Amino acid sequence: MTHEDFDSIAALDAAGAATAEESLALAAHLAGCADCSRARDEYAEAATLLALDLPPVAPPNDVRDRVIESTDVVDIASRRGGMNPWWLATAATLFLALWGWREIGIRVAREHMKNQNAEIHQLTEQNTVLMQQKEKLSAEMQALGSSGTQTIALQGQQFAPSASARVFLVPGHRRAIVFFSNLPDNAKDKSYQLWIIRADQPKPQSAGIFDASHGSATITVDNLPVATEIKGLAVTLEPRGGVEQPTNADYVVMGKT
Amino acid sequence: MTVETTTLIPAVAQGDTVAFEELYDRYSPTLYALLLRILGNAEDAQEVLQEAFVKVWTSAGSYDALRGSEAAFLISIARSRGIDRLRSRRIRSDRENDAGREMSVQSTFVVNRTGSDDAIQSQQGKAVRGALADLPEAQRIALELAYFEGLSQSEIAAKLGEPLGTIKTRMQLGMKKLRERLRAHQ
Repeated sequence: MTHEDFDSIAALDAAGAATAEESLALAAHLAGCADCSRARDEYAEAATLLALDLPPVAPPNDVRDRVIESTDVVDIASRRGGMNPWWLATAATLFLALWGWREIGIRVAREHMKNQNAEIHQLTEQNTVLMQQKEKLSAEMQALGSSGTQTIALQGQQFAPSASARVFLVPGHRRAIVFFSNLPDNAKDKSYQLWIIRADQPKPQSAGIFDASHGSATITVDNLPVATEIKGLAVTLEPRGGVEQPTNADYVVMGKT
Repeated sequence: MTVETTTLIPAVAQGDTVAFEELYDRYSPTLYALLLRILGNAEDAQEVLQEAFVKVWTSAGSYDALRGSEAAFLISIARSRGIDRLRSRRIRSDRENDAGREMSVQSTFVVNRTGSDDAIQSQQGKAVRGALADLPEAQRIALELAYFEGLSQSEIAAKLGEPLGTIKTRMQLGMKKLRERLRAHQ
């Protein structure tokens, strides 16, 4: 810190507004800087203007009596010569320094604990997400291995000829799991949307939205309609969040059962 | 009117009770007004005033005239004791219950000015009276909250709904102006 910095801290200190750390740093600096010590004294003097600006109020006379009487009680001998003022000042400085270090130490420890708690919280959340992913993968693996599973291949259309997808239909679980390959990554304002083309409905039914990353994507469709014939599956690129019905007939991939 | 402005603390440091009584008569109205402003309670203010003068009696030997005025020495002791009392009281009860106390204190206790009041005013007060009035209001308020209420920078920032840096700057600028004002009258 520069002398200017200490001058600013001295101003705050005189007003009683410096933090514990600032006061400690200032005290250490003043021990070796006459200019800043003088500035500190001037600020302290200036701060008294705040008190001197108040209209004086005479205290009751009995307070005066008590104050004067109290001088008899106080041991003047010990006040004047019992202890060396230099020794006292040194002891006081040492005490303040130790107290300051302790305070700083406590604050550092609290900050450390706060950071650790935040890290624990973050790791707990990550663990929860991983557990959910694990459960999902286990369910998918179980579905893929069941005896009634059907497989459908979806082929890339004009928009993405090299794209493809493999659909695993698990009627017993009313579930379909779709794995996409070579699918162009969608823009941030777009979503891929999977459609089920049913025999009993003229319009496609949305089966969910997903994003492609590095050409790959996976989507699991639950509550698959099993009481009706599924004629096919298709994917379109739609505004972010999906739509009620496909906004165009430019299927990215498509396949029939 | 002739005003006595001889420095009394060296005599007090030697155990001169007459000098101590004169010191009390000279400064008690200023210190009492300060403690009323800080504590907002006459009983507490009188108690702390007594403590402050006992402290002056016991520590007069540590006064260094080269570092500051006699008034600054006494005011510093009284303010420190007053803020200590205020903080310990805050721990016990919500100070918000005392809302509005400042106005009643001012109106109740601003009475009975004495010749010794004029002595203080003549030393510094007269020369610099109104120094606070010259400060921009925002700077004055921030300084008063620190000096009289004993609030930290962050507490003041929270109370005023201002960024911490703004409060710091206001207080620094305010103190620099007060120092300049003091220098101009020395």
